[in-house]
Amino acid sequence: MFLINCPYCGERDQSEFSAGGEAHIIRPKQPTELSDDQWAEFLFMRKNIKGVQLERWNHAHGCRKWFNMVRDTSNDKIHAVYKMGEKPPIK
Amino acid sequence: MLNYNSPINDQKEYSEIRITEVEPIIKLNLRGKKRDFMTKIGKELSIIPPSDPNTSSGNEKFNILWLSPDEWILYSNDKSDLNNTNFLEEKLFNEVSKSKIGSITNVSDHWTMLNIKGKNTFDLLSTGCPFNFNDFKNTKGAVAQTLVNHIDVIIHNKDLNNLNLFVRRSFANHLWSWLNDSSRFF
Repeated sequence: MFLINCPYCGERDQSEFSAGGEAHIIRPKQPTELSDDQWAEFLFMRKNIKGVQLERWNHAHGCRKWFNMVRDTSNDKIHAVYKMGEKPPIK
Repeated sequence: MLNYNSPINDQKEYSEIRITEVEPIIKLNLRGKKRDFMTKIGKELSIIPPSDPNTSSGNEKFNILWLSPDEWILYSNDKSDLNNTNFLEEKLFNEVSKSKIGSITNVSDHWTMLNIKGKNTFDLLSTGCPFNFNDFKNTKGAVAQTLVNHIDVIIHNKDLNNLNLFVRRSFANHLWSWLNDSSRFF
């Protein structure tokens, strides 16, 4: 259990949120021109690193807004939280 | 046409806790981002939807609770009849939804409102809720959307140890049972 600072509502318990996987995956502009492998790569393949990762989260039981988070998957330390459309504050 | 068929229609009293279902109450969901939307709502209801998170605004007739940056819930302070609901909904719908500056949805039957009063109110909620009520309970008009016993709720702090809790109709009976069972421990 850990606390997440929702950029809209403030600090809340993790149980109010749902994780949405890796962030900043760009949808191909012309999906019809892709091969099945390339489409599957976009659709399913995600990094699963041990360390700092950029993720999407949703405050599902609060304001229901999506936002991004920089989280260390090895110790759940949250380095930054930022709104959708904003650039990650740390690389 | 709406029919107010209350799922609970009851009130219970325990040691320093009183739980009542308040109905029928007008509840409207307001959504909009444009400045015109705020102006229209302010003009029609004499209340501006709050822009600060977890807050509410109100007058003697209505309260508007912040739900998200572009979403609010409006509810009446007094029990009201069906005609009033339809009149208000229609008025706002014509002003806001039809002119495409926002949306108005009647959610009077979607949410069930419980009033919980008494010294042990926050102790009761804390037994099944991950939300930290320390600041909330001392802030009149504060709003929180959270989970109580894994059920989504909206909590509006009306006054000292007096709050209104909104729960979805289909979960209302389950939450009611849980609140009653948990209140017996105090």
